[in-house]
Amino acid sequence: MTAHSPRDLAGSALRLAGEPAPVAAEERSRREPRTVAAVADIPPGSMLLVPEGPFGIGIYNIDGTFHAVANYCPHEGAPVCLGRVHGSNVYDEEAKQFVRVLEGRVLRCPWHQWEFDLVTGKSLAKPERRVKIYQVAVVDEKVVVYL
Amino acid sequence: VNAVIDASAQVGFASDAQLREYLPATFRTRGWPGPARPWYQAPGGDFRESTYGDGYPWVGGFPGSDPERVVREVLDEAGARMAVLQPRGRGNLPDWTLNTEIYAATNRWLAERFLDPSAGGGRFRGTVLVNPEDPDGAIREIRRWSGHPGVVQVGVPLQSQQPYGKPQFQPIWRAAAEAGLAISVHISAGSGIERAPSPAGHMRTFAHYAAYMPLNYFHHLSSLIMDGTLARIPDVRFVFADGGSDILTPLIWRLDTFWRSMRDQTPWVRDVPSSYLADHVRFVVSGLEGPDDPAVAGDWLALTGKDALTMYGSNYPYWSSIDPGRLPDGYFDDQRRRILHDTAAAFYGLPDRPSADASPGGEIVSAEQGGRT
Repeated sequence: MTAHSPRDLAGSALRLAGEPAPVAAEERSRREPRTVAAVADIPPGSMLLVPEGPFGIGIYNIDGTFHAVANYCPHEGAPVCLGRVHGSNVYDEEAKQFVRVLEGRVLRCPWHQWEFDLVTGKSLAKPERRVKIYQVAVVDEKVVVYL
Repeated sequence: VNAVIDASAQVGFASDAQLREYLPATFRTRGWPGPARPWYQAPGGDFRESTYGDGYPWVGGFPGSDPERVVREVLDEAGARMAVLQPRGRGNLPDWTLNTEIYAATNRWLAERFLDPSAGGGRFRGTVLVNPEDPDGAIREIRRWSGHPGVVQVGVPLQSQQPYGKPQFQPIWRAAAEAGLAISVHISAGSGIERAPSPAGHMRTFAHYAAYMPLNYFHHLSSLIMDGTLARIPDVRFVFADGGSDILTPLIWRLDTFWRSMRDQTPWVRDVPSSYLADHVRFVVSGLEGPDDPAVAGDWLALTGKDALTMYGSNYPYWSSIDPGRLPDGYFDDQRRRILHDTAAAFYGLPDRPSADASPGGEIVSAEQGGRT
């Protein structure tokens, strides 16, 4: 167990969420593209649930970037995309206060309140569990998900 | 004899008169509760029959007060090569200045009569009591005894006014960790101001009290984890000396479960609560806990790593003290070895083998080196 170093807030946030792995172009080309919405249908800060994949896919617009998440919680199978999106907390041991991080990219499952990072899919409390994420791209003002 | 360490035997003043001898004049004439629990007493008497001496109540002082007798009964007759002594307190007193003085007097008495190598040949280690209601006084007392070769831990009562993870206690735990001392949380003898033994109130009988009271440790443990003490003080080590490790498994499962859901309220907790146990928490077991079916006893002990967290303690001179040979049949051999000896030896940094003429100072490995298994 390591103690908190006071200046590791960025590290804390990063450890919580991780960074998305870069996707090779050939990886995407092996997937099946589905055009699911027009860009204008999903304004920043909103989500559109589309009937794709085995459980439906939530398409989230976070500050103009789209993220696609399976509507299936890896914990017990809840429709996770029905949960609220907000941020999460880390603690600044030096300033002795909570600090809000990852605002707008943390999805909270409606059943057991687990937090997931919408970008990496990782559970913030149990990073080895993650919600399935799909590759997503904008092509000709349309949102395309790669199944 | 070399296979057993008694991680918790209780000692205390022979009489109130003896306590007064150790108090400064400023407090010598004061009053305080006696060392017996006023309401919950075992029907056959609180103490082992042998400690009653020639008759009830007892002759020659309160049980656990005579060093020669403690050497004989705790070490020689029980076959323990070393013992960690826990002096009795008098409960949590409303006058915290008085309680701090009583604890300081108790510690002087313990060091003089038990930790000096003339008693037991250096086979005793001690607990110095500190008053959590007086953080400054507690820290002074920790620093006073820091470096004493016979002192391995500080002791606080299980009966507190607040859960021990609250921030007002943290400087005390930090001072103990800095001194290389563990912190023993133990039911204090006597009855000061304390809460009912259960959140639902008082019980009628001793059986009900004895079954539940030790489990109050979990209120402290969950607070120490969730309020951040264990995450913030890397070297802090707690011992819950009244047992209760049998209920650790289901309760820590619950805590892990809810932490995963509400992590954002305790961001200093970096991993599931159960991940803090191995480095920071031990239990003393002085009686049968968990299933008595030999077919499952060992497996139950292994769940959530309890077999690495548990240390045998006799709880001498209380009636419930058990012989080290009476651990449940179903424990595996390596579990038995850890419980009876190895875990305590490592946790308290005890020497490999005692020698009759060695001073305690000569053979102690620091808890820092030995405190991790």
